[in-house]
Amino acid sequence: MKRGIYALAGVLVLGVAGFMIYRALNSSLVYFILPNEYAANPGQYGDKRLRLGGLVAPGTVNFDDDNLQLTFLVTDSLESYPVQHYGTPPDLFKENTGVVIEGHFDDGVFLSDNLLIKHSEVYEPPPDSEHLDVEALKETLQ
Amino acid sequence: MFELSLGQLGTASIMLALALALYAVITGVLGAVWRDARLQTSARFAAVAVFLALTTAVCVMQAALLTDDFTVKYVAEHSRIASPLWVKIVTMWAALEGSILLWGWLLTAYTAVLALTTPNTPLRPWALVIMQVVAVFFVGVMVFATNPFTVLANPPLDGPGPNPLLQNHWMMSVHPLLLYLGYVGLTVPFAFAMSALITRRPGTQWMTLTRVWTLTGWGFLTAGIIAGGWWSYEVLGWGGYWAWDPVENVSFMPWLTATAFIHSVQVQERRRMLKSWNILLITLTFALTLLGTFLIRSGVVSSVHSFGDGPVGPIFLGFFIIVMVLSFGLIALRWDQVRDNSELDAVVSRESSFLLGNILFLTITFAVLLGTLFPLIVEAFTQEKVTVGAPFFDQVSLPVWMLILALMGIGPLLPWRKAEQQSLIRNLAWLTGAGLVAAGIAYLLGIHKFYPLIVIALCAYNWMSLGLLISGAVIPRMRVSQKSALRIFKQYAFENRRRFGSMIVHLGITIIALGIMASSAYRVDKQIRIELGSSATFQGYELKAVDRFMEQQPSRISAGAIVEVWRGERLVRTLRPRINLFGQNQQTVPTPAVLYTPWHDIYLNIAGNLNPEDSFIVVRAVQSPLVTWIWVGGLILVIGTGYALIPKRAPQRVRQTQASVNA
Repeated sequence: MKRGIYALAGVLVLGVAGFMIYRALNSSLVYFILPNEYAANPGQYGDKRLRLGGLVAPGTVNFDDDNLQLTFLVTDSLESYPVQHYGTPPDLFKENTGVVIEGHFDDGVFLSDNLLIKHSEVYEPPPDSEHLDVEALKETLQ
Repeated sequence: MFELSLGQLGTASIMLALALALYAVITGVLGAVWRDARLQTSARFAAVAVFLALTTAVCVMQAALLTDDFTVKYVAEHSRIASPLWVKIVTMWAALEGSILLWGWLLTAYTAVLALTTPNTPLRPWALVIMQVVAVFFVGVMVFATNPFTVLANPPLDGPGPNPLLQNHWMMSVHPLLLYLGYVGLTVPFAFAMSALITRRPGTQWMTLTRVWTLTGWGFLTAGIIAGGWWSYEVLGWGGYWAWDPVENVSFMPWLTATAFIHSVQVQERRRMLKSWNILLITLTFALTLLGTFLIRSGVVSSVHSFGDGPVGPIFLGFFIIVMVLSFGLIALRWDQVRDNSELDAVVSRESSFLLGNILFLTITFAVLLGTLFPLIVEAFTQEKVTVGAPFFDQVSLPVWMLILALMGIGPLLPWRKAEQQSLIRNLAWLTGAGLVAAGIAYLLGIHKFYPLIVIALCAYNWMSLGLLISGAVIPRMRVSQKSALRIFKQYAFENRRRFGSMIVHLGITIIALGIMASSAYRVDKQIRIELGSSATFQGYELKAVDRFMEQQPSRISAGAIVEVWRGERLVRTLRPRINLFGQNQQTVPTPAVLYTPWHDIYLNIAGNLNPEDSFIVVRAVQSPLVTWIWVGGLILVIGTGYALIPKRAPQRVRQTQASVNA
């Protein structure tokens, strides 16, 4: 009898915990992708929270210091998307720097609330191509 | 003439330490198997010798750091001539090789103290062997994989200095030390538990012998985690203290299982139950410290805290697997002896509340482990790169924390074996009454969010519980005594140090809970542009940008802003947030400036660059209510732990003084 109560309570607790963990995991997984991966299948990501990696496209950086709005294009040399970030450009934010931005897509614009600089690497396309090696880029940005 | 360099001397001392530790293991095992007292004694003295050898290594490392001896690779890679003295000292644990040295040194120190002070029980020989095996592992890692004394043939003239984030705050000298003291402290009960299994004595002796070590280890681990949170708050610049980052999670998991352990041992002490469960918990605690080191040192999980990839990851993983297999194998082998014979008498009793609390702590441990490892699992199966965001950990653990808080209040009021329905209902009525009143007042004062209301209610509920516990102890004593209530209370608190200490710890927990709840639910985080000479409003304060400044010190160059914080007509404080460059490092690190108040903190951090051409500065301003109380609560918790550890006075001395008074 007593054992039965404990077993039942245990199963209930585990069930509820399992369900809550599943639900929470589902809603807080953040995918790390490059612009070309988003372009391949925008519907998959919808307005979910993403970490978008890429380089700051040269000549596209604009900072509105009255409203603290930073805009630029993030690119992986195959695809690029406009980014809107609230806040000042962080230290070491330059053209062609590797960045990882966190936020979501809204109407083709990436609205970011977190901007990380990945500055340790130099990115150049391999000699026989005009595009970067996106696999390698993703690996270094992660 | 042949001159011994510091590097060679250091390498020699860790090799000597390894040889001595191996000797201690072999003589220890033989002494334990043959029950040979001489061999056992030899192993005990060898433990002291291992400690002395590693102490020499530590001294050599300090000498190399303090004299800027760049022939030692570790010094060349992590130290710098211009660093201040304290930075040079703590550089010893600013990188992998040195922190393994520190960890190993503390471990051998504990082992030496154990060898000299533990009473001569049948458990001692094997417990010392287990401690020594762990020491062999650490010293072996040092000798074969991460020798901190590797010599450079062409030493540089100066080094880059430690990671800038680490030399930016004095807290960094304390935090790792506390953590390692915690980890090492919790190795002691693990060693005695294994010894209890080997010697077929799965009674309570192994836990009573190690009670002091367990509590000390737990206290240090707690202090270390809270110190780490404070360090994050003061250094990382985002105004928070906990981000559910893998590095934080792996220090938190052993804490969770250790907390479960210090509660469940009481069930075994009182009721002789949960024998296997306790051994399981302490094994898990020890194993999790190894798993944690593997996870953060191998680079398999990405973290904002930069730790270099090293060769030690797989080694720690291997040791983790060996420890798990051997200890669980041993438990399985001795299953007949550790199986519980008695059953819980009632669903509502002290022991079942401990058991439920244990399940809740393990639930959080499992969720944290899952969240930390999930990116690895996903990548292995789908090649997708994902991270598990902080919301996962919050969503999963918050409800469980609420249950833990609720249990923390009612559990200590429940009697062992079986609670009487009448007193249970009366107690619960008091507790819920207090909770409801507090939540009602909070609601009227404008707190309308769900979790904050629950936390406030549960804190009041817990304070009422503490009140009931104390009045329940003091009032009956007042009936039979003429003394004043205060004196009786003092006497009770002094005579029941363990119980009263636990009450202080629980009080500290409620205060930490309030601080965490308020600072996360009501945090305001803004980037503000302020024209130099004028001011901007932030949460009822006026932030006036007075000027910019530059500062040059031997070890760093800093640029900052002088910001006056005004409340109405009153200047509250002048804050000087700055950004720093340490040596040749490209990466700037911020030094936020914080206005600490009991009610809320105002936290300013320079956002982006300080351009001399600009007519304005941009600061990130964060207001977090009650955040100071997390550190205060942490202090209370440590005090409570210390209080519970005050040793009982030897009874003979009391009798002697009585006799001398009579004489």
